[in-house]
Amino acid sequence: MALFLGLTALPLAFGIGYSLLHSTGLAGIGSEGFTLRHWGSVLTGSEFWRSLGFSCWVAACSIGLALGLALAAVVRGPERWQRGILSWLIYLPLTLPAMVVAFLVFQTLSGAGFASRLVYRLGLTGGIEDFPNWVNDPWGVGIIAAHVLMATPFFIILFSNLYQNERLGEYAQLAATLGATARQSARRVVVPVLLRQAFPTLVLYFIFVMGSYEIPLLLGSQSPQMVSVLTIRKLQRFDLADMPQAYVIGVLYTVFVVGAVVFLLRKKSGERSLV
Amino acid sequence: MYLKINHISKTFGKEQVLQDLSFTLEAHRMLSILGRSGSGKTTLLKIIAGLEMPDSGTVELNGKTMNEVPAHLRNIVYLYQEPLLFPHLNAFENVAFGLRLRKLPETDIHQKTTEMLESLELGDQSKKMPGQLSGGQRQRVAFGRALIVEPQVLLLDEPFGALDTETRSAMQQLLKRMVATFKITTLFVTHDLKEALLMGDEMALMQGGILKKYETKAAFVQDARTGVGEEVAFWAALGIGN
Repeated sequence: MALFLGLTALPLAFGIGYSLLHSTGLAGIGSEGFTLRHWGSVLTGSEFWRSLGFSCWVAACSIGLALGLALAAVVRGPERWQRGILSWLIYLPLTLPAMVVAFLVFQTLSGAGFASRLVYRLGLTGGIEDFPNWVNDPWGVGIIAAHVLMATPFFIILFSNLYQNERLGEYAQLAATLGATARQSARRVVVPVLLRQAFPTLVLYFIFVMGSYEIPLLLGSQSPQMVSVLTIRKLQRFDLADMPQAYVIGVLYTVFVVGAVVFLLRKKSGERSLV
Repeated sequence: MYLKINHISKTFGKEQVLQDLSFTLEAHRMLSILGRSGSGKTTLLKIIAGLEMPDSGTVELNGKTMNEVPAHLRNIVYLYQEPLLFPHLNAFENVAFGLRLRKLPETDIHQKTTEMLESLELGDQSKKMPGQLSGGQRQRVAFGRALIVEPQVLLLDEPFGALDTETRSAMQQLLKRMVATFKITTLFVTHDLKEALLMGDEMALMQGGILKKYETKAAFVQDARTGVGEEVAFWAALGIGN
């Protein structure tokens, strides 16, 4: 227990503590003594809130789309992910580093990318300028596409294993004898059970996407930026006065993430112990 | 005859699980099928429920051939060895499941489900999730969920296998009472000789994919293959039976 706390909670507490000191002018290069100026600047400005909102948007869209695709794939044919060629092919995308996936998406969706060239060849567009702006765009389409590419195989493996471990095939058969069509069985039994069992993993993956760095660095726009990119940008600026703001953002983001996780997981555990 | 099984055969790979199996059952009767593991009992029940297709033969219910009727339209409920309560639903919603599929008015669902839970002595457990119920309570919820849709046939696949002796005995009595009350035609599969005799109005023995149905309970008892003779001899040797 002490070792676990030493390896996990202690570094985190140290990091947050140092960030708090730095953000209030009590530590770091050029520290000016206690001040809440940087906190005020971040909290009253729009940049951080837009960045946080954008990160949530990207994470929600990515998880939502990947979830839909993975559920459809598993519910429509659970056995194909347990044996046969697909059962090991599905692991291959997980071996790709995030940067490689980001590069692949850039090569595919950018104005001069494969998709643009293909539709141009098909005569659907007259040139690069006609192709929609899907990379470095303000809606994060490229970032979302990259995360969906990475998350979908992961969720398929997760749901496929849950399907087997939770004996959902038998539940589906039971539901059928009680009068459920395949669609009703999926909607009322299989999907709810899968989502219920996968909920903690989904929450953690949401946070992982929100905090991702390489993909939004390559595929994101200048504004809004995801929280991780914004934080690093402020840390690496020549103006040292911006550095405390990076620490403010870091602390706020940590509080937001930890608060969200505790709230969601406690809510879920409350539902399970409902009497 | 209400339920008529005609020359059913089924093979998995090279293994013939059911061999030209035929029997009949009148409405509102309970047929006990005694058989060891691997004798084909579960496959037979799944074919009747529409969860497996036979290689040959037909299942007739009330004069209608059911082979092409999908499981969800047969109104034949198959209960597994374990209760398999839906883990995301509480006891009330588990019992109400079939009624919700049939899109009954909410007041009817509430009334019927409440009555069913009361008859199963689970009225005060309705809000509990499956993990908060005992083994016997879970099994009762499973019965309620099956009986509430008033199935044409109820198929029970060793439903008490996971229960302790005392609970098992109570559940046997409860099931007999409930099936009689709701007038459900039932196939009860078990490997327990005493349970088979206790539960069935009629008796059958399944061995190696072949089913033999007996005219009377006495005929079942007298057949050496059922093991009743050995059981009697065992207790007699102890000086307990006669």
